[in-house]
Amino acid sequence: MKPKFLDILVNPNAFFKEAMQENINLKIPALIILVAAVIGAVYGYVYGGLTAELMSTGMPGLETVILAFAVIAAFVSVFIFWVIWTAVIFLFSAVFKGKGTFKRTLEFVGYGYIPQIFGSLIAIIIALEYIPRVVIPHITQATLQDPQLMQDAIKSLTHDPAMLEFTQISAIVTIVFLLWSANIWIFAIRHSRELSVRDAVICVMVPVIAFIIYLVYNLTVM
Amino acid sequence: MKKSIIISLFSFLLLIVTLTTTATAYSTPDSIVAAGKVYVSGITYDPAVFFPGDTGTVTIQVTNGNNNSGVVVNHATLSDKNIRVTSSPYDSSSTIGPGQTRDFTFSIIADGFVGTYYPVFSLSFRDADSLFDREMVQIDDTPIEFTVVDKPDAFAQGKKKTIYMQVANPRKNTIRNVILDVSGTEVNPSPSRIFVGDLDPGMKTPVNFTVSPDTETTANLTVTYSNGDNPHVITTSILLNFGADKKEANPVVSNIQVKPDVGFFHITGDVNNAGLETANTVMVTALSPAVPQDPYKCYVVGALKPDDFGSFEVTFAAANTTSVPLQLSYKDADGNVYNSVQDVALPKSGMSSQTSGGSNLIPVLAIAGIIVAVFVGGWIVYLRRAKK
Repeated sequence: MKPKFLDILVNPNAFFKEAMQENINLKIPALIILVAAVIGAVYGYVYGGLTAELMSTGMPGLETVILAFAVIAAFVSVFIFWVIWTAVIFLFSAVFKGKGTFKRTLEFVGYGYIPQIFGSLIAIIIALEYIPRVVIPHITQATLQDPQLMQDAIKSLTHDPAMLEFTQISAIVTIVFLLWSANIWIFAIRHSRELSVRDAVICVMVPVIAFIIYLVYNLTVM
Repeated sequence: MKKSIIISLFSFLLLIVTLTTTATAYSTPDSIVAAGKVYVSGITYDPAVFFPGDTGTVTIQVTNGNNNSGVVVNHATLSDKNIRVTSSPYDSSSTIGPGQTRDFTFSIIADGFVGTYYPVFSLSFRDADSLFDREMVQIDDTPIEFTVVDKPDAFAQGKKKTIYMQVANPRKNTIRNVILDVSGTEVNPSPSRIFVGDLDPGMKTPVNFTVSPDTETTANLTVTYSNGDNPHVITTSILLNFGADKKEANPVVSNIQVKPDVGFFHITGDVNNAGLETANTVMVTALSPAVPQDPYKCYVVGALKPDDFGSFEVTFAAANTTSVPLQLSYKDADGNVYNSVQDVALPKSGMSSQTSGGSNLIPVLAIAGIIVAVFVGGWIVYLRRAKK
């Protein structure tokens, strides 16, 4: 019996149990990551527009470069993070004497990115609502040459009320969909590395909670 | 007794005969012809046209038109019932040589009413009959014209305003030493006394002065001038009432955009002159609690003609405030400075909002904590049930 695609979201245990019967196939996970990367690139374009506009007042013509960099970085980083995240979970599972190949783990972790697609779409909608309301500080050539002034400019941007609200809401959205992904990754690692549920939870939740703490910490130090 | 009477009567007759013989001794045909060539060559009245009651002089020039014989004159007088001569007549004999001219000057008073008169000049010759001449003189009571050319619709306390006046001479003669005096309680005129000088017939000259009234008052204007040596005065007054000048410049700030810069705010906007007069030296700056900063502590827009506009930009630092007063100042043509202030709302960003980030994080932390707790709690419950 072939696993239903919807099971990834609502019954990941059953999905991965069935998927273990199949050969390793990275095409579908890669396609999911590609979709997530494209959406991430769009988000990078919207969010990078802020930085581009900030810098363009001091260095006219630079906004295109910044935007291009933001889009490419957002696109590529999803793929890179997929591999890194799989490696982290893979290493954690090694502590619990996990079996199975890295390739299988990479495949199953890729399925866990589906909630991230929804999360990114919602983040884009929120960004389109809030970012136009952000007041971007005006910087000059002198500002660019003074690190303290540049730091003040970025601080002014990040402390804009609309920006603060956007950052906080997007952080909550990220946490919610990250936990949804974590739920999928728990069963993914359980089956791909042949772990108990408890060990799989620990393998996934330790880095996930660490990431959430890091996310919240960044908000507090803004 | 009878003998002495006869002697006296004889002596008297002898005297008469003697005198008569002496008087007619030089009256020859030649002297009469010579006297006929003596004429009045000119007459000058000062002033040329009199006001009723004015004093002045009349100078009559008598020329001997003979080439080789002089004439002896022994009496000169001027008479008219409306022109009173106050100086004595010429009673002494004198000779006017051939081709020479002699002046006979009389002081007179224009006793008559307004009109034209013809005083008679009489000159007696020793060796001939007298010379008579009538010369016209006018008495006119038309004063000079002192008019307001332009003045503000209303005045303001302590504000300098210019009043544009004009002095014109409708008379037929030149008037001299025209002087304008401006006075009045708390009028503060500048200058308070203006010397205009001479004013020829039919001519006019502008006379401008400024007033800076401290209260609603009346400016008293006195113009003194001389007609010949006779001083004359005309007076008028101008009410200096306070109120709004309908034509005054009216700069209006619009299209205001506030951008937070690094460490300060940057405001740009337009100034339109909605008045009917030019607004000079229009300047825009931010007032306390704002602290103006370079590069645009104070922006000078310059002069704005009616319906004209200019852009401005000002930079300032402002902490812990949601708005700052923006001052617009300009000068009118008299240099008076006018200020208007309008509040500009600041965006809730930049330096003023940097301290507000922490408090907003509390609900985010709480929400994130709840979500994670629910998720982890759910898994713990799931694992316990799975274990059982």
